[in-house]
Amino acid sequence: MQRRRGLWLVFAVVLFGLAAWLMLSGQGEEEAPPPQKVAFPNRLRPEERERMERRRTYVVPVAPADAGTEQKPVRPSDPVLAALPRGKGKTAMVIEANAIRHSPIGELLLECLMNREGEELERFKQDTGVDPFQDLDRLVLTDDGVIVSGNFGNERLKNLLTSRGSTNYAYGDGARLFETQSERHLPDGGVVRRNGPQVGLWNDQMLVFGRSANGVKDVIDRVEGRGPDEPPVISEGSTYGEMYGVISAEQLKKLFPPDQQELAARLAEVAENVELHVDARSDFAMTAQVKGADEAKMTDLGKSLGGALSLARMKAQAEGEKELAQLLDFAKVRPDGNEFKLELAVPLEVIKQQLAFCRDQQDTQGSKQQEASPAP
Amino acid sequence: MSGVLGIAGYVLREAASRKFILAFLLGVTGVLVTLSLSLRIEVVDGALAASRLFGEVIDTDIRALDVALKPVFMAAAAVVFYGGILFGIVSCSDFAPSLLSPGRIEHLLALPLRRWHILAGTFVGVMTLAVFGALYGSVGLVLIFGVKTGYWTVGPVIAALLACVSFAAVYAVMLTTATLIRSAALCAALGGITLVGGIIAGFRTKIAPFIEEGLSRELFKGVTLMLPRLSSLAKAGMDLAASTPLGVQSLPMLLMGVFVFGLGVLAVGFWWFEGRDY
Amino acid sequence: MPAIEVIGLRKTYRRAFRQGHEALRGVDLSVPEGSAFGLIGPNGAGKTTFIKSILGIVQPTEGTVRVLGGSPEDPSIRARIGYLPERLHLPGSWVAPTFLATVASLKGQKPDKAANLRLLERVGLADALGRRIGGYSKGMRQRLGLAAALLGNPALLILDEPTDGIDPMGRVEVRRLLQEEVQRGTTLFLNSHLLAETERLCDRVAILGDGKVLREGRLEELARGGARWAVRFAPGADAGALAGAGFTAAEGSEGLYHVEAADAAGLNAALDKARAAGALLVELKRDGQDLEAVLASAMGVAA
Repeated sequence: MQRRRGLWLVFAVVLFGLAAWLMLSGQGEEEAPPPQKVAFPNRLRPEERERMERRRTYVVPVAPADAGTEQKPVRPSDPVLAALPRGKGKTAMVIEANAIRHSPIGELLLECLMNREGEELERFKQDTGVDPFQDLDRLVLTDDGVIVSGNFGNERLKNLLTSRGSTNYAYGDGARLFETQSERHLPDGGVVRRNGPQVGLWNDQMLVFGRSANGVKDVIDRVEGRGPDEPPVISEGSTYGEMYGVISAEQLKKLFPPDQQELAARLAEVAENVELHVDARSDFAMTAQVKGADEAKMTDLGKSLGGALSLARMKAQAEGEKELAQLLDFAKVRPDGNEFKLELAVPLEVIKQQLAFCRDQQDTQGSKQQEASPAP
Repeated sequence: MSGVLGIAGYVLREAASRKFILAFLLGVTGVLVTLSLSLRIEVVDGALAASRLFGEVIDTDIRALDVALKPVFMAAAAVVFYGGILFGIVSCSDFAPSLLSPGRIEHLLALPLRRWHILAGTFVGVMTLAVFGALYGSVGLVLIFGVKTGYWTVGPVIAALLACVSFAAVYAVMLTTATLIRSAALCAALGGITLVGGIIAGFRTKIAPFIEEGLSRELFKGVTLMLPRLSSLAKAGMDLAASTPLGVQSLPMLLMGVFVFGLGVLAVGFWWFEGRDY
Repeated sequence: MPAIEVIGLRKTYRRAFRQGHEALRGVDLSVPEGSAFGLIGPNGAGKTTFIKSILGIVQPTEGTVRVLGGSPEDPSIRARIGYLPERLHLPGSWVAPTFLATVASLKGQKPDKAANLRLLERVGLADALGRRIGGYSKGMRQRLGLAAALLGNPALLILDEPTDGIDPMGRVEVRRLLQEEVQRGTTLFLNSHLLAETERLCDRVAILGDGKVLREGRLEELARGGARWAVRFAPGADAGALAGAGFTAAEGSEGLYHVEAADAAGLNAALDKARAAGALLVELKRDGQDLEAVLASAMGVAA
């Protein structure tokens, strides 16, 4: 009787031992890795603030004031920001070439967004010895063309520009304009001459590419203080992220995938201005601030966008794309009166897929250009 | 075996006739009804657009619904887990002591049952109550959320089942206590201590560095090695409810471990009960 | 084969940090099969401990206990025992048939509603079938407990204060019921303070005092234990002479005397002395002691 009773105690000891071992293996001694955190760009980081202050290099020459009025002390400003277009409905995207040089996403986006001038820049790189990824500081894409800031004191560059059978002349205080032309020999012996991009070189530190000479001149005017009084579309305080800028609604439509065109159309109709910031150091994170006039419509638009995001997330979950689904977990739309803020994080692979359409456009555009080339 | 089931049925019948089951069902139903009437969630295309609780708009960002509801589900899972165990401790503390009371225990011991059948049957009966109660509450929660938002998740039910296993470990301690000292208050107290110990044990790797190096730390690690990791189970339940990745290496092993701990405590109770005079 | 056989049973209740309490100090008892056995003794004698020992509820410190040919630890032996504890707890919100059904199933018996109802009729609860046990009187609860003990026709009935709380008429019924059981061959083991009940019901009795069996045997033998005679003399007898002959006056009755005489010779010698003093003998009877006196004398001897 006692022996049988004692068996229970033995049993208990064995069970306790088993339990301890099971729980130890089940729980694990190490901590689980902390869950993925995504940092969205929302304000200037300290290093970005320093960068902004470092760029205030140019003092705009001020016309002598009338006698009697006080001269306001002129602060040095960032010439590239001054070069930006002014007013509503304009597009200007700044890509910090230095910051994203090693970032794969940077390369991707550059490739896509530059599809119009891509060929030209390739040729450019070959001919001028200016490597877009080495000597560039910033690349600005606007409706009218491309502005590039960096180190362009290279003689070869100047020689090339002059040698392109083009006219060149000085303009403004420190700029030189080159009206380039390019030649191509046709198989039948003829020669096609085409107007190349109009290039302006300002102060050996800024290259302005435009379709027309007037466009380039406008940019240089803005830099040298002769432009309109409206502030540039990107203010100093908005220069955070590896890519930042303002996109007009029309341009934004092009960034949407084909199956979301209806949403894109609504966006174009209601939104006045979309400010984008991208943090591409590691976390593939983007914020977009959309401003509009009509509060009700903006709220509706926000809700629809939120819905579209959740659909995308469910699709990702359904198709087993765990990484995308997890990152879309962080997507959210924050409504605030007549504007809303969209935060979105997307992995690299997905961006490649989304930008595939951009590459397609590039190919079709290339062939279109061929067709549209004027006969000599 | 039939003896165990017989006693379990006896305990359940007792609970039913003491209106215990009725009171519990009413209580849980009341909470669920209140929640379903007061919570209003606006959903647009699967995205949480707005939500109201008691008529107040909760400030939310427009996000994917299941993501926005994640904190809600995590909170629900935590409440189901800890609240369920606490409720179980308080309400079930009386079963064993009353079964072991004079006049009753002598009658039971004179029956052709092995002694440990009596304890085991009590355990099975109380656990049956716990499982049904947990399922009822959690399925109700799932129904409310599903009907209101269109988003169906099995998270709260899983949390409830995890809580049941944890409660098994806690109740085993309470039952064994009753065989030592027949007092409902003491049983509840020891159940509570087990719960607290289990919570601490779940965090043992985090807490250990804060304890003085040497004997104290070894003692802490040794003691918490044996205790059931209840807070880890709670966290796992919350993670499952929110569809976030689990923080534990292997949930099934952890679950088995907690359950086996409960069995070990029961074995101690059996050992003691077999030798006890009544 | 005796229904209950106990040899050298000792039980000491051990208390931590306190002197252990020796409840049973070597009890030897044998209860024949088919008998109605009564256990009597003062409070604290160890009667309840003894009963618990033969049911396995309490484990003996020393000694052997054999019940129905086996050990009380064996569930199959306990299946053939019907037990009514001293303070039976009944679930207050059940009804009687449910309670009986539950106990029957716990005893491993097949559910038999009709048999349960018959049993309830036998114990006199036929009118209260629908009523909740919580509303029963003490007597009704006791009857229900009895019914539970009778479930499944046990071979041995162990009853601790079976008629406690039952009214006198009810006691008659219960007595009749138990006598029926004994006639059927069931062994009855009874523990009761109501000595009159024990007298009427039992044929064998044991007196437990201070943890030991003081007297044990058939009721008649015990009661007859003392050699006492009741003698009635015609009025006018000389009290002093009678006292001298060894006659003690009985209280109450005029002319009734008691005399102790070990055998017939002693009796006749005393009578001769009384008659020589002029007393006229009208009635001579053997004076049986009632159980109370037996108990008292046994305790007196023990003390």
